[in-house]
Amino acid sequence: MLSYTLKRILQAIPTLWVVITLSFFLMHLAPGGPFDGERQLPPEIEANLMASYGLDKPVWEQYFTYMGNLLQGDLGPSFKYKDFSVTELVAQGFPVSLELGLWAISLALLIGIPLGVIAALKRNSSVDYMVMGTALAGVAIPNFVIAPMLALVFGVFLAWLPVGGWNDGHWKNLVLPVVALSIQQIAYIARMMRASMIEVLGSHFIRTARAKGLSESEVIFRHALRPAMLPVISYLGPAIAGIITGSVVIEQIFGIPGIGRYFVQAALNRDYTLVMGTVVFYGGLIVLFNLIVDLLYSALDPQIRYDNE
Amino acid sequence: MSQPLLEFDRLRVDFDLPDGTVTAVNDVSFTIYQGETLALVGESGSGKSITSTAAMGLLPELARASGCIRWHGGAGDEDLLSVSRQRLRAIRGNEISMIFQEPMTSLNPMHRIGRQIREVLHKHTALRGRSSHQRVLELLAQVGIPEPERRIDSYPHELSGGQRQRVMIAMALACEPKLLIADEPTTALDVTVQAQILALLKDLQARYGMAILFITHDLGVVRHLADSVCVMQQGKIVEAGKTDTLFQSPQHSYTQMLIAANPSGRKEAVPNSAPVLLKAQNIHVRFPIKKRLFGPNRYFEAVKNIDLTLRRGQTLGIVGESGSGKTTLGRALLRLVKSSGDICFDDIDVARLDRAGMRPLRSRMQVVFQDPFGSLSPRMTVGDVIGEGLRVHQPLLRRAERDTLVIQALEEVALDPAHRHRYPHEFSGGQRQRIAIARALVVKPEFLLLDEPTSALDRSVQMTVIQLLRDLQQRHGLTYLFISHDLAVVRALADEVIVMRQGEIVEQRDTASLFNAPRQTYTRELMRAAFLESTA
Repeated sequence: MLSYTLKRILQAIPTLWVVITLSFFLMHLAPGGPFDGERQLPPEIEANLMASYGLDKPVWEQYFTYMGNLLQGDLGPSFKYKDFSVTELVAQGFPVSLELGLWAISLALLIGIPLGVIAALKRNSSVDYMVMGTALAGVAIPNFVIAPMLALVFGVFLAWLPVGGWNDGHWKNLVLPVVALSIQQIAYIARMMRASMIEVLGSHFIRTARAKGLSESEVIFRHALRPAMLPVISYLGPAIAGIITGSVVIEQIFGIPGIGRYFVQAALNRDYTLVMGTVVFYGGLIVLFNLIVDLLYSALDPQIRYDNE
Repeated sequence: MSQPLLEFDRLRVDFDLPDGTVTAVNDVSFTIYQGETLALVGESGSGKSITSTAAMGLLPELARASGCIRWHGGAGDEDLLSVSRQRLRAIRGNEISMIFQEPMTSLNPMHRIGRQIREVLHKHTALRGRSSHQRVLELLAQVGIPEPERRIDSYPHELSGGQRQRVMIAMALACEPKLLIADEPTTALDVTVQAQILALLKDLQARYGMAILFITHDLGVVRHLADSVCVMQQGKIVEAGKTDTLFQSPQHSYTQMLIAANPSGRKEAVPNSAPVLLKAQNIHVRFPIKKRLFGPNRYFEAVKNIDLTLRRGQTLGIVGESGSGKTTLGRALLRLVKSSGDICFDDIDVARLDRAGMRPLRSRMQVVFQDPFGSLSPRMTVGDVIGEGLRVHQPLLRRAERDTLVIQALEEVALDPAHRHRYPHEFSGGQRQRIAIARALVVKPEFLLLDEPTSALDRSVQMTVIQLLRDLQQRHGLTYLFISHDLAVVRALADEVIVMRQGEIVEQRDTASLFNAPRQTYTRELMRAAFLESTA
């Protein structure tokens, strides 16, 4: 187990390196720079600023400087938020994004799994068609469409919930962004759960369980549910990645001070170090969650053990 | 023996499919008496499994059953087709229990075996805690699982197929049922394991005094196990009677055909003067089991230093149980897996050739695989499947010429050439195996590797494929390497036999003397398990 974990972490290094390098050069290829504002700076000042951040040097030299600093854990200063380092900004925004993401993924599992199971048990009935039809819509409609619609209906027309803001994570402020963020995942998980439940229900050991004289609920809860959940567990890695990228949009729409919002603003402002910082952080996070999911998988399925002996 | 236990009375099972109703079981009536073993025999699709699942109320959703299945094992007489669900659940696993054909997948892979057996006890008996644990250990010991105290906490994947079937039997016997339904319980197992399981069932039947409904396609098993037999064909019972009478004087033509369908005939040995086609020395194949970051990899030795010689026109049979290395050896000889050692094909040193160097030789050595369902591409027409080899080996052929050769190949294997535009799923198992043979033949090979080509087929179909292989060999002077776990088939087809076990040759002799007087204990054990000892 330990050696497997170590191996996985070692394997993550080249992945992260490719992600960082690609983002670095793509970003520098984009026109404009961090100090192009509406108000044109005097050329001498801009030149001074460029020099002090090392932006006057060739891009490859900047790359090596950046990588060198990164290896020492230094993400650099933000160009836009002048008194903050990137590390400070990420540390500030992350708890907010994390809370949002955890709620979203929990909601997705809590609703998606039962929906899928119900659809599987009542397959080809009106219940099934309704659940699957809704799920299809959930997959198809992007969250940047769902989010404003939710805000419009529940925030403006019905005025039940605030249309935006964080308010230190008050539950009323959480509801709409969490729902908007999880709808797509609920849909995916429900569809996946239905398919795998149907497959498991047709398997030989379920026939054995029935032949033992177990009741239908015993068959489902004791024998079918856990194996049917395995595909969902392995989907959690991509799901978490989906929630992270989704939160970039959602945080922007609902005005939530998480890292997602920094990411978008930084990209628009060419705040190079902040963009890179969030990329590194997100990349590491996705790798980490994928590892956790794989370890979880082995805990659930006795046939998969990452042992050396 | 005289009290009826379970009576099937004009059972009929229909399947409501989108394109109409299919009757799988029609007007089936028979009776199982207390303590007896009744065998329900038939080939695939005859409705024998449907009949038994109907008694357990385990039919698929699309099925409709009518008629009557009377159960006398409970309090009074009940019709299993109309009892309440609750009552049915109380019967299942308790008064009637069932074991299945698929020991590898019939246990829940996520639960320890002890828990799975205990579950039945908790459901149907008052045993709890220590006493149920004790009973599970007792059952595991009874079905011959070594070290029950340790094994009780095993997961199914830690057990072999035979052991898993033993666990299934322990589970089925937990509540001492009056009837055990065994649906092809040994078909997926090696013959020696099959013999052990059958002996175990007989022993347990005597101990518990239960009746057994034994469903099988294997007449050898029936003859050794059953008191009476019902023969099913296309959903109907065509003949029923006491085992001895039925085997001695079968009345119905289908029964006669089934009994006669045991592979027969012998292969004449080729003279020693015949030229050598394939000569292999010191063939050794190993697979890495564990790739390690540091330190040496560990290996599984699949084939250990084997020598063999094949003369032109010869059929060399390789016999062995699963994991014996027979398939790996065959593939190594064709350079389909990596091996060390020398391989000479028609005086060409093929062991030194790379992939490109092998290609021109590929048309001279062809393979037919076991699985007639998996080995033909489902998205290619039969004509394309057969013609593909020609495209590779004779790229200059014109379309019309290729088509002619495909037609010839189909005629060779006695299939209608007009069917070459159809897709593989439109053919039966036996027909697909003919297509696979035609695919190999079309490039005019000299050497055919036949890897269990008849194992997935019913006995009567097997016969026709064997006859076909024999005819083709005569007509084209083919040389066969015939791999099989089925001794009866090998005896009918091969003139020399190698018995393999754990990657090594146990015994190697000409077919007649091997079967008449096997020298090694293991060979004798195999033959006894395959019920061949008396007919040698």
